[in-house]
Amino acid sequence: MEEMLEPNEMIIHLGPQHPMQPGPFRLNLKLKGETIMDAEVEMGYIHKGIEKILENRTYLQGITIVDRICYLVALTNEECYVGCVEKLLDLEPPERAQYIRVIVEELSRLQSHLLGLGEYGEFIGFVSMFMYTIKEREDILTLIDMVTGARITHSYLRFGGVRADLPDGFKEKAIPILNNLKKAINDYEEMFNSDTIYRERTIGIGVLSADDAKSLGVSGPVLRATGVPYDIRKVEPYLVYKDLDFKVCTETAGDCFARVQVRLNEMRESIHIIEQCLDMIPNGPIFPEGTPYGRRTPVMRVPAGEVFHRVEDPRGEMGMYMVSDGSDKPYRVKVKGPYYPTLQALPPLIIGTTVADMVSIAGSMDGCTSEVDR
Amino acid sequence: MDARTIIESLTGKFPEAVSEAGIDSQVRIRAYVDREKAKEVCQYLKDSLQFDHLCSVCGVDYPQRNELEAVYHIASFEHPVVLMLKARLPRDSPEIESVVPVYWNANWYERETYELFGIFFRNHPNLKALVLPEDMIGEWPLRKDYEGFPNRTARNLV
Repeated sequence: MEEMLEPNEMIIHLGPQHPMQPGPFRLNLKLKGETIMDAEVEMGYIHKGIEKILENRTYLQGITIVDRICYLVALTNEECYVGCVEKLLDLEPPERAQYIRVIVEELSRLQSHLLGLGEYGEFIGFVSMFMYTIKEREDILTLIDMVTGARITHSYLRFGGVRADLPDGFKEKAIPILNNLKKAINDYEEMFNSDTIYRERTIGIGVLSADDAKSLGVSGPVLRATGVPYDIRKVEPYLVYKDLDFKVCTETAGDCFARVQVRLNEMRESIHIIEQCLDMIPNGPIFPEGTPYGRRTPVMRVPAGEVFHRVEDPRGEMGMYMVSDGSDKPYRVKVKGPYYPTLQALPPLIIGTTVADMVSIAGSMDGCTSEVDR
Repeated sequence: MDARTIIESLTGKFPEAVSEAGIDSQVRIRAYVDREKAKEVCQYLKDSLQFDHLCSVCGVDYPQRNELEAVYHIASFEHPVVLMLKARLPRDSPEIESVVPVYWNANWYERETYELFGIFFRNHPNLKALVLPEDMIGEWPLRKDYEGFPNRTARNLV
C-alpha cells in the first residue's frame, strides 16, 4: 500500500480483532470517503507451525494435530490426512467404516454451515439469526459427540477405519434431529428471504463472475455460487460418495445472497446423504480384516512415496501433499486449506465497495483464519 | 482429456525442459521441470491443456541430495487430472521464476514457500513474509537443518 495519501484519503486498520472476522487477521484499508481504494491482508497472528509439528510426530499422533488446523471442520481435516496415509499404505477401510465416516463428515459440514450462517447474520446486523442456528448446531454437535466422544476436536478417524463403531440407538436419535433441522432450514430460508435489510445488504453485493472466480482460484460455496459445479465429492469421489445420491448445489448470481443460498441447499443435501447412509450402512467390521491396523496401531512405518489427496471441506477444496521416507514420521506434509485462496481473493473483491459492504462480503466467505495460518 | 494425452502433449511440446514424466493413477500425473522453463510450461498448461486451477505451491527440503524442490499441484475445472510439477533447485541458490503472471493465486503460496524454505521467486510482485514475522526471514524454519525448539529458544534466553 502506498505511503503517500491524497487529500481525503485515510488508512484504516481493521483487526486483528474485529467482530466481522472469523479469526485474527489484519485488513489495511485505504479509504476515500467511505469507498475502499486499496486493501491488503496481513496474516500470521495464529501461525501454529502445524506442518513442522507434523514432521516431528508419528503418523498416529498427527491425527490429533490436524484436528487443530481448524476446529470447525476437524473431521474433514482428519479425512484428508488419514486418506493420504491410507493411499501410501494402499489400505482401504471396510464399507461400514466408510459409511460412518461419511455420516460424521456430513454432520460436521452441517454444523460448520450452521455456524457460518449464524455468524453471517450477526455480521450484517441480524443478530437473532445466530441464536436460531446455534440451537440447531448444538443438536448436531450432540450427535457428533455421541459417535466420537468430543464436540469439536475428535481424533476419531484411524488408518483403515474409525476409532469406535456407531453407538446403539444412534439412528433413532439422529432421525428426529435431522427432521427438525429440515424444518429449521426452511425457516432460515424464509427469514432470510423476507428480511428487507438482509436482502438490501446481500443482493448484488460482492458479485463474482464465474471466470473471475476461476482465475482467483476460489472453491467451495463461493465458487459454486457463481454457477461452476465443482465439488471434490463428484470430481474425485472418495469413501462411498460415488454410491450416494446427491447433487452439487449451484446458483448463478455470484453475490453474497447466492453464497448463503448455496449453503442452505448444501445443508439439505447433507441431510439427504446422512439419511441414505443410515439406511444403507452394512454390518461388519470397522477395520480391514487380516491387517495389523486397528484402534491401537502401535508403531507404524509407512512405505516411501508421495501422495496428494483432496477432499471437499465445508469451505471448498482441501488438499494435503504428503511425502514419506519410509520411517514412522511423515517427511513433509503440506496442508492446502480451502479458505486460503478465498481470503487471498478478498482484496480484489472489496476494492471499490464501501466499508459496510466489505463486512457483508467478507462475512459471506465463511472463513476460518486458523486454517489459513496453520 | 485423460492422463496419457496430457503427458504426451507436455513431453512433446517440451522434450528437454520436462523430464521423468509419469502416470501414478487415472487422476494423478507427475513431471519434473527445468527451473528456467517453469513459467513457460505453466503458461502452456493453462492455455492448451485446460489446467486453469493452481491447487498449491510448496517446498520440500532434501539435504542429502543438497536440493530443494518446488512442488506445484495444478488441477483443472474441466477434467479431474491433477499434475504434480516439480523443479529441482540447488540448496545454496534456490531461485525460480514466479508463476504469478500465469496463476494469480500463486502469490501467497510463493510468499509462504519463500519465508519457510528460502526459495526465491524471481519477478514476484510482492515477495515478503506472509505468516512469519519479518525478522524471521533468513531462518527458513521448514528446512530440515533448522534447529528450532528447544535449542533456539534456550539460546535466546541466555
